[in-house]
This record gives sequence, structure tokens and C-alpha cells, in this order.
Amino acid sequence: MEMLLYTLRRIGISIMTLLLVAAITFFLMNAIPGSPFMTEKSTPEQIALANAKYGLDKPVIVQFGNYLKNLIKGDMGVSLKMQEGTAVTKILFSQGKFTLSIKLGLLALLVAVLIGVPVGVIQAYYRGGWADNVLRVVTTLGIAMPSFVVATLMLFEFAVALGWLPVQSNSLETFSSYVMPVLTLALNPMCRIAKLTRTSMLDSISQDYIRTARAKGLKTKVILFKHALRNSLIPVITYLGPLTAGIITGALVVEQIYHIPGLGNYFVTSILNRDYPIIMGTTLLLAALIIFMNFIVDIAYKLVDPRINIIKKGN
Amino acid sequence: MKKALTMALAVGMAVAAMSSAAFAEEGEFNVRACIASEPETLDPNLESSVDGATYAMHLFEGLMKYVPTEDAAALDGDDKVDLLVTDFGQAESYDVSDDGLTYTFHLRDDIIWSDGEPVTAADFEYSWKRIVDPANAADYGYLLGGIVENATAIQNGEADPDTLGITAVDDKTLEIKLEAECPYFMGICAFAALMPLRQDIIEEYGIEWTNPGNMVSNGAYVLSDWVHDSYLEMTRNDSYYDADAVGPDKITWYLNNSETSQLAAFQAGEYDFFDAVPVDQIASLQEQGIAHAAPQVGTYYLYLSADQIPDWRVRAAISLAIDRENIVENVTQGGQTPATGITAAGITNSADEEWTETYGDFTTMALQEMYPDYDLETYSGRCELAQALLEEAVADGYDTSATIDYEYNTNEAHKAIGEAVQSDVASVLGLDITLNNSEWQTYTNNLGEGKFGMARLGWIADYDDASTYIELFTNGNSYNYGNWVNDEYTDLVAQAKALPGGEERDALLVEAEQMMFGEGGFPVAPIYFYVQQYCINDGIKHAAWTPLGYFLFTYAEAAE
Repeated sequence: MEMLLYTLRRIGISIMTLLLVAAITFFLMNAIPGSPFMTEKSTPEQIALANAKYGLDKPVIVQFGNYLKNLIKGDMGVSLKMQEGTAVTKILFSQGKFTLSIKLGLLALLVAVLIGVPVGVIQAYYRGGWADNVLRVVTTLGIAMPSFVVATLMLFEFAVALGWLPVQSNSLETFSSYVMPVLTLALNPMCRIAKLTRTSMLDSISQDYIRTARAKGLKTKVILFKHALRNSLIPVITYLGPLTAGIITGALVVEQIYHIPGLGNYFVTSILNRDYPIIMGTTLLLAALIIFMNFIVDIAYKLVDPRINIIKKGN
Repeated sequence: MKKALTMALAVGMAVAAMSSAAFAEEGEFNVRACIASEPETLDPNLESSVDGATYAMHLFEGLMKYVPTEDAAALDGDDKVDLLVTDFGQAESYDVSDDGLTYTFHLRDDIIWSDGEPVTAADFEYSWKRIVDPANAADYGYLLGGIVENATAIQNGEADPDTLGITAVDDKTLEIKLEAECPYFMGICAFAALMPLRQDIIEEYGIEWTNPGNMVSNGAYVLSDWVHDSYLEMTRNDSYYDADAVGPDKITWYLNNSETSQLAAFQAGEYDFFDAVPVDQIASLQEQGIAHAAPQVGTYYLYLSADQIPDWRVRAAISLAIDRENIVENVTQGGQTPATGITAAGITNSADEEWTETYGDFTTMALQEMYPDYDLETYSGRCELAQALLEEAVADGYDTSATIDYEYNTNEAHKAIGEAVQSDVASVLGLDITLNNSEWQTYTNNLGEGKFGMARLGWIADYDDASTYIELFTNGNSYNYGNWVNDEYTDLVAQAKALPGGEERDALLVEAEQMMFGEGGFPVAPIYFYVQQYCINDGIKHAAWTPLGYFLFTYAEAAE
């Protein structure tokens, strides 16, 4: 029952957050100069005509009210620039953009966790040894290198020079088309997770309960993987919330370089084009996704450590 | 870092295989090209971009069309891309009335839509009325303004679209009434936005009429697939009357906006053609024979604000101090030519002579007459005059202490040009220029509000006539961002536009352009004339290009 109430409360807060995001985005995007109908050769008269056609000639507050009214009915408006006149919901969902980005993001998240955590454990296990030193250099490099650099290098090496993988991943229809985008997107969070895991493992190892375990004569591997790792995962889980946002922003670059028709690429273009309904649609969708991921993370705390009370304040 | 990486990428890839097959499926000749990212629309009436027009020219055909000549389009003589000229398309002939104001087009008998219906004059009438109808807010709605009867009044909402001077006399006869004689009217008839359209299809499917399966077209290709933000696929239209002359069985247009990715895809053999060659790679790729450049009818110029630099002598001095040769040789490095006026190279006069070659350097013509002691053919001579003009202005009280704001839209190439101009103006005239950049939308907004001392822009011609450039600077023109006011100039342009093509009209336009760079003038400093870079697979020949900005693959063939 408590959990149900907690969930309902979170849903309520989430809706309020989304409304706030909608309002801030709407007024901010209308405050910046430009028009979706501005081209090198458009005249002020033509821009005025187009504004009238899509109701952009009304006061911003009226436009916002109309947007919210339509949003409640599930209508996110139509694109003003890219695929002009096409419903935003159709662009985001029916054309598979959201699914593509989610597929890419989740895979990257999975790869980041599945490789990052073991790497961190290995580093902690061999602390100060050559494996730890080498991996420390590699993970530092992975964090320091911007994704466009990683993407370009991989593109050159694996697609152009070696010809192993396609330059264009397109709609991710083959296994080979996943490799570079997923690895590029996963690299930075993977290295961060490895570092986090290592630090928190080392921290756990020095705790009393580990000492007790040792005193009881348990094997080092059992101590590490059964006792230390479980507690060490809490900071990693904390990181997964913001990581979702990181993966989304990373996808902007990755989708562009590997030519994937996902949401990230579209989001950037919509801002540059002042395609207001698309900006609103993508922002709300991404905000909802981040809110949802944070909720999942909270639930995950509980699963990893039942002592954590996510419902009431404090522990 | 990014620049170094792309350089490494290009150098490395230069050794990669260049002869990858363009022909994905055996026995077929397919072309894979990339000219832009996702188009705003495939509706010919509503598109306004080069890529949108290019797709329209493959899918549809107007009264006139573009056909290749045997001349190479590229400056370096690359023989894989031919130059295009206009020819009869869906029309097989036309008559002009004695007063030159009524054109009667006779359509071919064998023209049919991809669904088997005959193409009729009514399809043209519908399309032309649709584009000028303000309810459709078409970017090119203004195109017929001042040309076809009532177009301007309809655009302004003062007349009904049905009153446009175009009438389908019968299925095969189309009558078009002009407001004034128009020497470039045939070019207009080949314009992508004026393709015939099917009213029944548009009304049946609404906005989705451009989807594969819904779209009915009358050109060499039909739209067979469209994965948004990924690719467009066109296959041969077997109903096309000239289908035997059509080359590729299939054209796949990849929709990609990353220059790095496009170059990599080309080098990896995934593209046969692309034209967004990374600016920092152009010179090296041209040296290696991978990239080519074809002249494009376009001028890159700087507005000189008449509000913020009110003394014309200072504006003239700035224009003279810019070393255009240095900019094209060492900054842009893509084969551009130094601009000699606002009218771009490639525009012709009524005698079909090249405008810039016939009339010479407009930027110094009037000044040379006013100041015969200076040798304006050399950069040093121009600098001397620039200094003298500035001194005159200072003697008359011009304050040189103020910094001039130079605005440009965020782009490495624009920045490099800005830095070259900044350096020239500082070293020759001692004037301070501050470079400010902003993204495109903010930038154009600033231009509209006149928030600049100097600002860059480029103008690609829509049709072959000098007026397309010269009228931009008439009083009140929405592109006269520098707010230059000259009644005499505005009158001259109005007089010229009212005349049919001929020497008298040419003379008025020449006089106007001279006036633009004479006493009281210099609303702009032209920098260079455009070229279009491109990379094309060696396995393709007879792709084609019109300097108005469009590549055509309709007549391309597989090289032996």
C-alpha cells in the first residue's frame, strides 16, 4: 500500500515536472529570435503568411494555452519545418525514431554496465597491479575523449580503412550496424562506471563487515562478489539516473555521425530550425524518459539494499 | 582537434579504394547520392531548397526541362559531370503573341502520369495557381510576382488565385499571360517549384500525397521508398515519354547532414556522389583529384550598413581594402573567383554574353573614373585609394575610433573569411572590426533588425537574369539589410524590369550596378563568386549540373 501511494505521489510530481518543463521550454523557445519559416529567400510577408497558417501570429500565452489543451487530447501539433504538416506524434513514434533511440540507448546502457562493473571489480581486485594501472589509463582516456572523436576514429578505422563495419548504420537493421554506435555511446559511461565501481569497491573492502567476513575465513572472491560488490553498486545505481540524460545527449552526436534516423539527431535539427512543435515533443518525451529512469533507479536502490527506505525521508 | 581528425581521416581515406561499384544489384545501374539531410517537403510547390528542387526535377517535369550538353561542368574539366541547358519538356512548342505578353504552350501528346492518366494543361494551371495562393504560404509564392498576370495581387490577398493569368485552353494547350515581357521566362518554366501537379491526388491524400505509393509523378522517376531521415529511393518511371534516355534504374538519395560521415561513406564506397565536401578538406581532395568544383551562379558578399557606416567613402574604402584574391586562394581554396560585382558570374545579358566578362569589374569601374590617378587593377593601387578615401572622410569629420561589428552565422568558413577581412581592413585602413557569430536563425533576425556594421550573406540565382541580384538593393527591398537608400537606383531598376530583354534593358541594369559601386554607393562588398564542390564515383559518367545549383542523374550512365 505504501509503495502504491509512493508511486502515485511520484506520478503526480512527474506530471507537475513535465508541465513545468513544457512551460519553460515553450516560453524560452519563443523568446529566442528566429522563425521556422526563415530561409535565405523568405520575405517578411511570406513569414507572416506562414505564421498565420499555423497560428504563430497569436500571443505566446495563447499559443501555450492551445498547446496544452491539444496536448491533453494527445495532439502534439504538426511539424512546421521538417516534414512540414506531419503530426509530431507520427514523426516521433510511427516513424520509429523513438524506438531507434531507445534501442540504441538501452543497448549502450547495458554494455556500459555489463563491461564497466566487471572492469571496476577487476581494478579493485588487482589494486595497484599492472591490470589496474592499464585499465586506469584506459578508463581515464575513455572519459576524456569526446564522443565525436571516438566516433570519427572508429569510423575511419573499422568502416573506411578495414571495411569491417558500415559507415551508415541507418535504421540499425543488421548486427554490424549496431557495433560502432553502441560502443561509442557506451564508452564514456562504461569508463565512469568502472571508476565508480573501483572506488566504491575499495571503500567497501575497508568496512568492518568485510573484515568480519575475512575473519570468518571466507574466500576473497566470495567476499568481493557477494558482500562488497552489492554495496558498491549503490553509487553506480545513483549514477544511472543522470547517465540516461548523458546517453541521450551523447546520442545526438552518435546518431549524426553514424547516420541513424533517431530522436537525438532530430532534436538538434528541430532547435536549429525553430520547429516549435518538434522541440516541444522531443523535450517532453526526453523529460518523461529521464523522470521514468530516475523512478526506476529509486526502485533499484530498494532491490539492491532492502534497508534503504525510498518512501520516507531518511534511512 | 576535430579539424585534425577529419584531416587524418581524409588523408587516410585517400588511399582507400575509389572504384567501389555504384551498381548494387547485378544488371542494374543504380546511383547512391547524398545532397542534403531530410527535405522539408517533396511537394514541388512548397519546397524552396536546392535538395527539394533536385528531387522534384527527377520526379516531375515542367513545361521546360534541363538536358545535358557535351560540355564539362567542372572547372578542372572533370568529364563525369556535364553542363545542363534548358530545353522543351512537357511542352513541345510555344507561340508568343506580338506584344510578347501571351505565351501559348502546346503539350506533347505522349505525356502521362505514373498512374497512366494523361498530363493535361489543367495540371499546370492547378499547380501555378496553387503556388501563388497565399493560403498555401509557399516559399516560392513570390516567384511569379511581376511576371504572370495578377500574381502579385493574389499573393497580397487582393485577388482570387483563379484570376492568375494562366488558362488551360484545352487538354494540350496552356495559355499564360504576362504582366510585362520577361526575358528569363523560359528559365521560370523549367523551375522546380512550377511542376504540374495532380489536383485529385493532392485532394485525396492531403499532406500525405508525397508519400511513396500516394505520389503520382510525370518525370523520369517515381518515388518508391522514403525512410525519413535515412534515405529516399526513386525508380525509373516506365510511363515517362523519354524513358529510353533515362540512365539509372534506381537512385537512392541518402539524407545525411554530417560532412564527416558523407566523406567517409563516399570513401568506403557507400555513396557514389556527395556535394558537402568538408571545407578544410577541399584543397587536399581537389589536389588528389577526388573533389571537383563546378561554377555556380552565386555571390558571397558583405553588407556594409548605411546606418552604421554612413559615409560612402568609408564603405568604399573597406571594399577596396579587402584582398579578394588572397581570400579565394588562401582562405576558401575551393576554386572560387574574386567577385567583380554583385551580379554573379554565369549570369548572361540579352545577347547571351556572360555578364561579368562583358562589363568588367563593377566594384572599381565608377571609382576608376572618379580617381583616374590610381591603378585599381592592382591590390596595392586599390589600397592607396582606400586610404585616400578614408582620409577624405576623416577630414570631413568621420570618427574612426568606433569598432565595426562584423556579423556572420556560425561556420568555420565564414569565420575564416571574416578574419581575413578584419586583418585587411586593420592593416590597410587601421579600422577595428569585431567578429561576432550567431546561429542561423538568430543571425538572420539580427540582419533584419539591422544590428550590424558588416554582415555576410550569399545569394544563389533562381534564374539567369542580372535583376535577380540588382533589385535586392532597391529602396525598401526586404534583402536590403544595410538600409541603403538611393531613389535613382531604385527608379533605374524599376525601368529595367518593365522592359523586355534587349540592349536597353541591359544598359539600365549595368548603369544601376555601376551606381551601386559609385559615389554614395557601396551597400555591399562582394567577395567571391561561388563554385559547387562535389565528389563522384569514377564508375559514373554523364551526371549533369546546372550552375543554378542542381545536379541531375537522369541521364547518367555507367562508365565503361
